[in-house]
Amino acid sequence: MKLPNSGNNFRWAFGAATVAVCLIASAGQIAAAPRSSGAIQGGLGPPTRVEIALDANTDSALLAREGKTRDAFGFPVGVSRVGRHVIDGFQATEYDEVTELDAAGNVEALTQFNSKGRLRTAVRLDATAIAAAGPKVTQDGAVRSAQRSAVAAGLGVGAPTATEADQAAGGWTVHWARQQDGVRVRGDETRIHVLPDGRIQSVAIAEHDLAPVPARRIAFATARQVARANLDSWFNGRNSAYSIQKVELEWVGPNGAFDPARIATAEPPYRLAWVTDVKPSGDAAGYVWLMSLFVDAADGSIIGGDFVE
Amino acid sequence: MRRASTWLVSMLIAVSTLGVPGQAAASYDAHVWSNSDAFKIACLGVNDTYPLQHYNLAVAQLGKLGFGPVAGALGPGFTRTAFLANVLSDWAVYVHSHGDNYWAASGAPNVDSGILQDPGAGKCNSSKDMIRSSSIKATTQGSFYNIVIMSTCMLGSNSSTMPAAFQIAKTKQSTDYEFYLGYVFHTWDSSSLRFEQAFWSYVNGGTPHSRTLAGAFAYAASVGGYTAVSASEPFQANWWGNPYYDGTPLRPAARSPR
Repeated sequence: MKLPNSGNNFRWAFGAATVAVCLIASAGQIAAAPRSSGAIQGGLGPPTRVEIALDANTDSALLAREGKTRDAFGFPVGVSRVGRHVIDGFQATEYDEVTELDAAGNVEALTQFNSKGRLRTAVRLDATAIAAAGPKVTQDGAVRSAQRSAVAAGLGVGAPTATEADQAAGGWTVHWARQQDGVRVRGDETRIHVLPDGRIQSVAIAEHDLAPVPARRIAFATARQVARANLDSWFNGRNSAYSIQKVELEWVGPNGAFDPARIATAEPPYRLAWVTDVKPSGDAAGYVWLMSLFVDAADGSIIGGDFVE
Repeated sequence: MRRASTWLVSMLIAVSTLGVPGQAAASYDAHVWSNSDAFKIACLGVNDTYPLQHYNLAVAQLGKLGFGPVAGALGPGFTRTAFLANVLSDWAVYVHSHGDNYWAASGAPNVDSGILQDPGAGKCNSSKDMIRSSSIKATTQGSFYNIVIMSTCMLGSNSSTMPAAFQIAKTKQSTDYEFYLGYVFHTWDSSSLRFEQAFWSYVNGGTPHSRTLAGAFAYAASVGGYTAVSASEPFQANWWGNPYYDGTPLRPAARSPR
């Protein structure tokens, strides 16, 4: 049986040694391309990621912040560090990224800071963290470990809003949901994943810009009426019905869930909206578990939504 | 200088031409399937764009990893017949649809996971559209798969039988070149799209094949910002396979019956 990385080592060695091998590979891809019948549809091009190398001398402050974060969370120290500014078309955002590399150039840990210099995410990616097994640390122990590391990194956290066992990596994921003036910001959070042995695997701060609070806000009853009017027209004449599960005020990201023309290439500021969760019944219940409408709290327009298919 | 350039270009063309037959013979078929008609006006009164967004991302990124030809369908072409007719020749498979863990024909507690084919233009899904993991397993005939992504609800849970349909054991220590990705609970489409965007950004954003798929998974999980369906159903993705596999299309000669 082949060793897992034997193919990589082989390819790297020859790739560095001869341009010809690269050309052969490229030529094969070019030749194969026209045979593909899978095509991008709807005028949406594939995303790209642009990396601009940073100079360690001029970006010493960035490296210092990365070092502080790395040490606060107990991440491995690489034999070298690489800093870059990333324009990430996949995630529709930009950030500065520092990677800690081992002697072979493998990523041991990665830390990203957003355009305001705030921590975006930090994750250890060394072999001991990728395939850790079996929950050992207790939930309380995981929360304490997460809180201790967060404080060391200068993150203000109190009691978590949720903690759950992680089926994929084992251990626990601790969440602090973001609220603005008592209103939840959908998806925004500080999140720390604690490995089964109590070490921290990752920390994230998901934090979107918010639009100004609307001067006038439509009432709960009005928002429900708007949602119901849309849903009535959508479900009318079909072998399906619906029930509204909840209508709650949230900050949400406008999106193109119902309109491809509104699919954004950059993350727009979040808007205050009445989020209406809808449970289909009848035929639709067989393929849609839940759907959500975002009713703009300022003008009652539908600015996006979501589906659980 | 000009002569040197001409010589170099000639050499490059010659080497490239020599390389084509061998590479072309080693194609690594992939199929990307996305059910969109069940989520259109005929069934919901509105057009859900998430099937399109997931489909486009997967088509581009599997191709970038080197799989090709990347075929499949967004919408009516995604039928049970088409899926089962093509899956044996695939090295990578991606599905975006409704998915769940259903009781097997033998009854509870045995599970036979399933996905829904596209119902066809102007039609809505019914249970007759189900493609069961048992059917897929019977069709794959023990063959080997590099990458399987079930962008559906529930098929990354520990009770899912979908990985076994592609001969992928539920271990994170496999030594074969294989990787299965799925979601554990019911999942908002915005969350699965966000996860997959981060996943592909990490693995395909830099030097090709320099990073592992397991690393990409850890990175995507780390960015957070995923909306839970409920307190009892947080967002969770899951994977099984080889922690060192970098997504290069590879044939494990010892395992492949083809």
